Amino acid sequence: MKFECGDLERAFEHAQLMPEAREHLKHCAACRKEYRLWNEISSTARELHEEWDTPALWPAIRDVLGKLPNPQGRRPWWAAQRTWMLTAAAVVLASTVGVFSVAPWQQHPPQEGQEPAAVRPLASSGNRDLLTEQALAEVERTESAYRQSIDKLSHLAQSELLKPRSTAGVNCKEKLKLLDDAIAETRANLEQNRYNMRLQTALADLYREKKQALQELLTSDQKN
Amino acid sequence: MWEIGLQLRFAASLPDNPTDAELATECKRGNLRAYERLYDLHSARMKSVAFHMLGSHADAEDAVQETFLKVYKAVSAFEGQSSLATWIYRILINCCYDVLRRQQRRAEASPIRDHPSHSDLPLKIALRGALSALNERQRLVFLLFEVEGLKHSEIAGILEVPEGTSRSWLFEAKRELKRMLTESAV
Ligand SMILES: [Zn+2]
Repeated sequence: MKFECGDLERAFEHAQLMPEAREHLKHCAACRKEYRLWNEISSTARELHEEWDTPALWPAIRDVLGKLPNPQGRRPWWAAQRTWMLTAAAVVLASTVGVFSVAPWQQHPPQEGQEPAAVRPLASSGNRDLLTEQALAEVERTESAYRQSIDKLSHLAQSELLKPRSTAGVNCKEKLKLLDDAIAETRANLEQNRYNMRLQTALADLYREKKQALQELLTSDQKN
Repeated sequence: MWEIGLQLRFAASLPDNPTDAELATECKRGNLRAYERLYDLHSARMKSVAFHMLGSHADAEDAVQETFLKVYKAVSAFEGQSSLATWIYRILINCCYDVLRRQQRRAEASPIRDHPSHSDLPLKIALRGALSALNERQRLVFLLFEVEGLKHSEIAGILEVPEGTSRSWLFEAKRELKRMLTESAV
């Protein structure tokens, strides 16, 4: 194929034609001009990247995100456990009620022409409240055990925190102070409303953060 | 009370060089450090893309903020089928299109601007002007590839088109730009 001026555009699109195009450029000033412009468009385009300072942009985004609920609406592990216990309690309750409600029906099926007995409430609300209360007490015991294990970890990390020139210690101390303040406030709020799942979630997250911070501190201590 | 949550979500740690999957996980947890990392990694380029699409710094900043808001709200559904960056740029571009649609509605009553001849202007200025006269898909591919340095594979992911289509749109864009830039005033 003889490469002509009109083929240059096809060469831009199909790189395999470029060797022939380059041969043509040696003898054609008009195509050389076109070729130079084609390349200049790309090199000049890089200068169009626009940079400007926006010191207030991230703080504004952070503030907006900080006011939104957690993306997953996650629940703490002890809340999950509470749900499990309540489910188990419901199963026990249902099976117990089932024995009372189904068994009599099996023993005394309604006679032909006889209306079935009116449906009775399955369980009194008093029983339900008692089960919820028991389950919550169990959650609180679990939480207390978790807190004690973190206290032990804190005790182990004390020596690292007291080292005067440990950067990790200084950073971690600040973070732990922040977490401890938040834990204290959340616990105080929870005492006003033990059933508040949002507070339970926040408290679980805070404990998890504290545990992680302490573990990181102890690990860094071992590495040094 | 949310201030405690904010402190907590800021106190949450993040690995030094988190992988895409780790960042996505932390974003799903609501860890604001993860969002800050995304901002550090991508905001400069996001602002530039939005600026070229919308034509003003203020609109570009609004689009970036809106994008982070949408990312936060939708991240729990992010399944990692594309990279986090690809997904974020896709959201950014959709945010810019939303703004453009609103601007278009406002501008419908205004007179159409004349595009000046580009042949006498310094190339950078002429190119900026010519770019605004391209159709949307050409301008977008040109911006992402030539201005922002993304690869065709990345652009294909963002625009959800085959890689060959991205190459073809770029060629069309450059051909059109070359035509506009060489167009004489005669
Ligand atoms: Zn020629």
